[in-house]
Formats: sequence, C-alpha cells, structure tokens
Amino acid sequence: MKRSKRFLELEKRPISNDGFINEWPEAGLVAMEGPNDPKPSVRVENGKIVELDGKRREEFDMLDSFIADHTLDLDIVEDVMAQDSKELAHKIVDINVCRDEVKRFGLGMTPAKVVEVVGHMNVVEMMMAVQKMRARKTPSNQCHVTNVKDHPALLAADAAEAALRGFDEMETTVGIVRYAPSNAISIMVGSQTGRGGVLTQCAVEEAMELEMGMRGFTAYAETVSVYGTEQVFVDGDDTPWSKSFLASAYASRGLKMRYTSGTGSEAEMGFADGKSMLYLEARCLYMTKGAGVQGIQNGSISCIGVPGAVPSGVRAILAENLIAMLLDLECASGNDQTFTHSSTRRTARMLMQFLPGTDFVFSGYSAVPNYDNMFAGSTHDVDDYDDYLTLQRDLKVNGGLVPVDEEDVIKVRNKGVRALQAVFKEIGMPDITDEEVEAATYAHGSKDMPDRDVREDFRGIEEMLNKGTTGVQIVQALAKHGFEDVAENFFNLLKQRIAGDYLHTSAIFDENFHAISAVNDKNDYAGPGTGYRVSDELWEKLKNVRFAKDIDEIGE
Amino acid sequence: MDKELVESIVRNVLSNLDEGQSSPSKSSKKSTGGNGLTDKDYPLGEKRKDLVKTPTGKSLDDVKFADIISGKTDGSELKITADTLNYQAEIARSVDREQFAKNLERAAELTRVEDERILEIYNQLRPYRSTKQELLDIADELENKYDAVINAQLIREAADVYEKRNRLKGDR
Repeated sequence: MKRSKRFLELEKRPISNDGFINEWPEAGLVAMEGPNDPKPSVRVENGKIVELDGKRREEFDMLDSFIADHTLDLDIVEDVMAQDSKELAHKIVDINVCRDEVKRFGLGMTPAKVVEVVGHMNVVEMMMAVQKMRARKTPSNQCHVTNVKDHPALLAADAAEAALRGFDEMETTVGIVRYAPSNAISIMVGSQTGRGGVLTQCAVEEAMELEMGMRGFTAYAETVSVYGTEQVFVDGDDTPWSKSFLASAYASRGLKMRYTSGTGSEAEMGFADGKSMLYLEARCLYMTKGAGVQGIQNGSISCIGVPGAVPSGVRAILAENLIAMLLDLECASGNDQTFTHSSTRRTARMLMQFLPGTDFVFSGYSAVPNYDNMFAGSTHDVDDYDDYLTLQRDLKVNGGLVPVDEEDVIKVRNKGVRALQAVFKEIGMPDITDEEVEAATYAHGSKDMPDRDVREDFRGIEEMLNKGTTGVQIVQALAKHGFEDVAENFFNLLKQRIAGDYLHTSAIFDENFHAISAVNDKNDYAGPGTGYRVSDELWEKLKNVRFAKDIDEIGE
Repeated sequence: MDKELVESIVRNVLSNLDEGQSSPSKSSKKSTGGNGLTDKDYPLGEKRKDLVKTPTGKSLDDVKFADIISGKTDGSELKITADTLNYQAEIARSVDREQFAKNLERAAELTRVEDERILEIYNQLRPYRSTKQELLDIADELENKYDAVINAQLIREAADVYEKRNRLKGDR
C-alpha cells in the first residue's frame, strides 16, 4: 500500500508509542460493564447476608465473607438494592440531593450494584458527583519525593521545596530497600523546613513501614495494598483480616493510614477471574470500608497501563475514585504513575480529578524530575510546575499548588539540607558534606549530585537503627544546631499522635498544626455558590505567577 | 442529616454487630462510649484538652518542646492512649462512620500490646503462616493478657475463614 503522508505524520506523534488493546473480558481486560460481572443481588436471613451478588454464603470467598460481615448495612441493604440503579445514579449526581443523603445509601449497595449505578454516568456526571461526594471540603495535593541515588541531601531539598509549593502530603520510596529509614528521615526534615504540618510517609514493605512509623520517622502510611480477588490478595501476602489488624495497629500508635488499590492490578497479576476492573476495584473499596480504614489511594495507581489501554479505562478510573467517595472514604485519587507519552492524554486524565477537586488530586505529583521518580514516574513532574500553575490560574481552580519565587525556593532548599546535615551528624549517619549541600540547593535532579558511599550509608543506617534512634533524637539534633523552628515542627508532628485528631477521614494539618478533616471541614457542596470556593486571599496568590507581566512592563 | 436517624442507624448497626460476637459484653460497653462526644468536640487536641492525656497522665500542655530538647523527658509520652482512641471513636460515630469507629476501638485495645508483639501477630495473620490452633492461641492471648476482646474476635473469625479457604500453614 502506498502510505498516506498524513498517516505517516500521525505515526510520529508521541501517542503512537502508547499501548492500546481491545477488550478481552475473560482475562479481565475490560474496564467496566464487563459481560461476566455478576448481577447485583443480596439476601438477608436471620440478621446475616446469605447471598451476595449471585453467590450463596457457602460459595463466598474471603472478600465476599468480609464484605458481607463487616461492610454492608443490613438495615438498609435490601431496600437500597431494590431501587432502580439509574434512579440512584440520578440522586448521586443531582445537586439538590445532599451529600449526607447519598452517603446514607452507600453501604446499602453491593459491589455489583454500585458498579451498575456508576455505569449509568458519563464523565461529566461523575465529576459532578465527585465535587459533591468527596469527603473533605477543601481539596489538596500529595507529591512524590524520591531519587535514583536515594541521596539524602537531595531528598531533603526537594521535600523542603515541595512543602513551600503547597503539597500537604509527601511520599518517598527507595531505589535500594536498605535506604528506607534514611529516606524517611530526609523528607520529614525537609518537609518540616518548608512548612510545619506537612504529613510524610515512606512506601516500603508493610511491616517495615509500620516500624518506621512507630519510630517517628514517618507521620502516616499509604502503601497498604488490597486486591479484588482472593488469589491476588493472598499473592500480595495478606488477607482482609491481616490488613484490618494492620489498620488498627497504625491507629494504636496514633498514625494516620489509608489503603491502596486500583483497577487493573488483578488483570496484571493474572487472576482477574474474568471480571471487569471496576467490579474488582469495588470489592477492594467495600473491603477497605469494612476494615474501618479512613481512606484509600486509588485511581489505578501502579497498574494504570492496564485500564489506560482499554476502552473507557480512564472513565473507569474516575468511577473508582467516585465509588470510594460514595463510601465516605478519603480518596487520594491517583494521577501518579506515567501511562502515556501524550501530553494531551495525561492532561485530560488529570482534569477528571483536578476540576471537581478531590482530597488529594494527585497521590503523587512528582516533586522531582521524572528520571528520579522511583514510583515509575508520574504523569506530572517538576518540569510541569508552570503548566500546572497556569491551569489553576486559567480555570480558577485550587489544585493544591501556589506560585513561588526562585529566591525563596533556593533559600528553603538550602535550609532543608543544612538541617538534615545537622541531624546526620548527631545520629551517627555519614556526613553530608558542604559540597553536597551546595549541589542539592541548586540541583534539578540527582544527575547534579555527587555519588554517596553507599556502603558507609548502610553501615550508618544500621547503627542508627540498632541504637534505637527515634524522632526524639532528630528533634534534639535539630535544636542543638540552631534549627529550632524545624525542630519544633518535627516535635509538633510527633506530639499530634497523642490527640489522634489526624486519624480521622481526610485529615491534613495547616501550618499551625490545626487538623482539617471531613469532621470539621465537611463537604457541603449543593450547587453553584456552595461548597469549596477559591478564597479571595488564595486567588490573589494563584493569579500572581512570576511569568505574568504587569501592564507597565509591556512595551518597555 | 437528621440526628435521630443517625442515632437509630448507629443503634441498629451496633446491635447487629453484637449478635455476631461470642463475647459482646465487654466490647459493646466500650463501643457505646458515654461521654457524649460529637464532631463539635473536634479537634479534641484543641477543644477538649481536658480529656486528652498521655500514657503517664500528662496533659497536652505539659508535653513541652523544651523538655524534649533538654533531655528532661525521653519522648515516651508522645503516645496515644486507649481512652483517647475511644473518644475519637465516639466522634467518628457521631458523623456516621461506624466501621472507622470500630477500627479505633480495636486500636484502643492494641495500645496495650508491645510494638514487637504487634509486628509478630501481624505476620502470623498473613496467609499460610499459622495453623488454626496458633491463631486461636493468639486470640486467647489477646483476650486474656491484653483484654483485647474485639481483636480476639477478629482473629477467631480469621481462623475460621482461613480454614475454609485453605489459607492455613501447610495449605499451600
């Protein structure tokens, strides 16, 4: 065939490098409305659910049992299930039906039912519903702070900058597992330099993550994964019961936590049971609710290549966020792992959460260059900051970031690294040199950083752990070297564990360590002029990006 | 949302939960609370400082930055207590978050269990790690040694399900 020049041009576009597949329901490669999804059903006998989505109790797997016994509300489930799914969808979208009324029937729907209900909605209706149903009134944002070298100085600098830019939560993970405690400490010190009250976590294996929380190196946990089929759950080395116990363990130490799930994980791990991605994700969310966890990170997350490749996949991702909100769970709504080479596609995918606002629009905006992102990249990174600020300004949307000055960024990065330098000196970690401080202050990424002596770092980390080092020694180290303000922020973050206010749904702190959550900042959206609105004060900040000219500058 | 409706839903959910438990007396007493706390008392650390105490009985204002810096205290008071978790559970229930409240009540019980033992029990609860008897022993330990009756119930339930679904030690 003689090739069309127009098609040859199209094939040069970045989107040509994306992977797309047609639906294959038997392997779970169908986003929603799967032909093999069970029909919604429920039967209650003697105060017990004896049938759930077409299965009798004898046939229940672990997830069915858990959902039947811990999640669904027996008093309402039969009534709600009897209602027409389209009518329920109407109520969810309708601005005249308040959030509380919708919330009331969330636990009256089975996983198959909720999937059928949201299946009636297009993405604009889902966004309307997200605007109304997200738990916290004020939207927020979370970022990733990592680098390929696990370089502590750079982690501290990046965390300090990210805090200044407005992120309320920060997540790190490791290139090499043994660096975990060092990474956790580095972003905690950096973040508390940038802005007191930012919450930080370090995503590693569950037991290790809990131990770091107990020591005071992290403020919350998120990488506590749940899955929608029993086989994948068990392959993930957990059960709904072990995960429930873990949830209580965190709370017992005053630590906030949320689970993680997402469409596509079961198909990717080869055990989708022929069900649609959204149906399996709904099971995860009902399990999460039953465990009593306050929230979830979802939106496909690390499996986004799977829903991203099939028809209606990005719509399914928005639908899974919405189901979490219908269950009154905090939702850190994805937009993290890279799934496309196309700027158009990644922006369109992100607008689904950015426009209505969610508890955390990103559950990992990359506050580092993409090559340093150890969560396999993110859809948006440091090089997109100005684009993102412009979208906020264009559309008058609070996406969680504020414009900053270069000078302030340099200052705060420098202070963050110097604070960590002091901490490392006192807790017996290998020195952070002045050369490293200088490099981290001005770096774009780890390519601008000298290498660390990895073996020496491991030795230092091991000794530090063996000595029983906790957050208290870090506070003392900071104060001893004149970083009183950072020390006090670090201390206050530890002190918050006593009261446990930030255990609650969608909790974050402002700079005065005042908890803002779905208890005292309830979403009360009920149409135009209600719910969250950008305040005049914030709007002044959002308007004033550094690259906008004053009228008197034009023509000079 | 209509307050009476909330209360009646909470009551109903509670009574249903109790039916399914072998030893409901201890746990249900805890879960109904009785301090009348609601979302109006939140954040507890600001609005009900009178209630929030450290494990040694210090108030929030007595936990001082200066004492940590000077080494006068070692930071062991930077911990939440069972009472505070139960207060937070009451607040959670007042905003209609029954399952979350239950989690906080399980957490209240776990404040009495040492860090290391918590990590061990968690690992024992993972699939294929324990025999049914080992799980039942953990449940007894939690109930008898730590007065952790809700957690004990959860682990007994797990033992049954693991047996049915072949997820016990040796089943793989």
